[in-house]
Amino acid sequence: MSDAMQFYLSTLLIYLFIDVMGVLGLNLQFGVAGIINFAYIVFVAVGAYTAAVVSLGPDFPGNFQHYLFGASWPFPLPILAAGAASGVLSLVVGLISLRRLRSDYQAMVMLVLSLIATLTATNATGLVNGPAGLANVPQPLFDQLGLPPLEYQWVYAIWAGLLTALTFLFVRGITNSPLGRTLRAMRDNDRAAAALGKNITALRLLIFVVGGVIAGISGAVFVEFIQAWSPGSWLYPETFVFLAAIIVGGSANNWGAVVGALLVPVGFLEATRFLPQDFNLFGRHVVLFSGLVDALQWVAVGLLILVFLWFRPQGLFPERPGRFTPRAAIASAGKGE
Amino acid sequence: MSQLVPAIGFGLITASILAIAAVGFTLQFSVTNILNLAYGDVMTASAFAAYIANHAGVDIWLSLLMAALFGAVFSMLLNRFVYFQFVRRGTRLFGMIIVTIAMSLIIQNVLLAVFRPTFFSYEVSASASYTFAGMILTGSQLAIMGIAVVAMVSVHLLSTRTRLGKAMRATATNPGLARSCGVATDRVIDVAWLLSGALCGIAGVVLVLNTATFSEVTGANFLVPIIAAAVLGGIGQPYGAMLGAVTIGLASEVAASVINPSYKDVVAFAILIVVLLVRPQGILSEVASGKEVAA
Repeated sequence: MSDAMQFYLSTLLIYLFIDVMGVLGLNLQFGVAGIINFAYIVFVAVGAYTAAVVSLGPDFPGNFQHYLFGASWPFPLPILAAGAASGVLSLVVGLISLRRLRSDYQAMVMLVLSLIATLTATNATGLVNGPAGLANVPQPLFDQLGLPPLEYQWVYAIWAGLLTALTFLFVRGITNSPLGRTLRAMRDNDRAAAALGKNITALRLLIFVVGGVIAGISGAVFVEFIQAWSPGSWLYPETFVFLAAIIVGGSANNWGAVVGALLVPVGFLEATRFLPQDFNLFGRHVVLFSGLVDALQWVAVGLLILVFLWFRPQGLFPERPGRFTPRAAIASAGKGE
Repeated sequence: MSQLVPAIGFGLITASILAIAAVGFTLQFSVTNILNLAYGDVMTASAFAAYIANHAGVDIWLSLLMAALFGAVFSMLLNRFVYFQFVRRGTRLFGMIIVTIAMSLIIQNVLLAVFRPTFFSYEVSASASYTFAGMILTGSQLAIMGIAVVAMVSVHLLSTRTRLGKAMRATATNPGLARSCGVATDRVIDVAWLLSGALCGIAGVVLVLNTATFSEVTGANFLVPIIAAAVLGGIGQPYGAMLGAVTIGLASEVAASVINPSYKDVVAFAILIVVLLVRPQGILSEVASGKEVAA
């Protein structure tokens, strides 16, 4: 395999792992717990910015970019800091918006939050370097490992894969546990769950924070790979790419999330990124204006969501009905006839 | 102080545009209970409709009327052929939000693909500017305020003085009961979308008249203050939306002149958050809260 092809494939693989992580986090919030988080990408972004500023080193006068809280923490710390920062932000946002609002107001608040976060990051230039964003984020252990770039890329893919596998096991641990059942009960009928003594607000907050931490970590893994991050990378429609992945893959199904991430952000968006900008069609030379493919991609994402909601709202891999034996049945079986 | 007076003038204009948009947004929501997040994009589409008319030689004020018509028909068709179909298929409240956002993405990017990424502006004959108590306003800005006042009075008269308005309010409060009482709710819902779409179209054009240039995201960017105004006034309540529009309009323009123009929308958001924190029950105890979706 040529080096270029290897670069391409390893990059695609890393993107896939990161997208799977992101989709798993949102699926936990949206699919399993029924929390509407249209600002999910903000938590990814906060994780990415945090990982960037704690590994970029202290800011200095004359630096080409300016940011708050520069530090050069060693390898695993930036990722942990990213998870923590997104988790804390999730807690704050959750405390404000998840309390007693109707779900459509929550959706609205989240959407507005996403817009405002972009606006703030763009305009407050001292915060994370404004519209230009941060660049030259060091790759973790690049110097220590001393590998050639291509081999480093494969190592990074393994590392991202490892984190994704851990995330998958963690999320599956939640969804298969009694907590997962409680969450689904809350999603399907929150009043009934509350009547059975479940603390709905606390559960929502918990899952909101857990999902936020996952989002933050995925952002950190992403920024440490591509080494740059700017407001243009996390505009509010990006959340809908994740959401589309969940709707296509299958809401509340972890394997569905994996397949959705493979199909929508990776298969659909990354694969079309390399469409030719000019080609011959029926003997005529056609030149696409820059941005046309992007625009059509977003149209396609919108259509994909509509088509799936219409024809297959449960997604490719529907949620599996829970297998459980009611206690009454166990008790009566134990007693015999 | 010298900064404050012109800021209030700008605030009144923003409030006028916002009032038209927010009343349209909230009117449709109160009757149909669908949170239409594609509203901003219908605004942009209407602005483009006016742009086409305007550049074909039609006077801008006539183009405004055409945009209102376009917005009305577009909104109604959007409901008939997309939203209502999903509701009939059993898509729930939250699913509907995703549907409206998908439509928002589609409309916005079809506009981008058709009109290409650049900025557009109308051809408006330069008008004299007038000075009132330190506020300098152009002729078209005064016209915007006039349009807002006319629109608000019309909405008020329509909803209080006509059978249609009564039918709309009845449908908003309890669609099932309204139907039982002989209100043709389907037709009322169509009218609500038409009316909301017309206001949306007008808002789109006056927004562009005020900002001079627009692109495919202009309407979507304006959605934040619209939502803030609607929520501040208690979503689903036209008078609340008017009040909310004036508050948000004035607050954001004053803040823009005192702090930094780029934080205009942040002010709207801050107000939104404060309202949610201080009076969540005001938003919760809404007529619409227990209501099923009626497309």
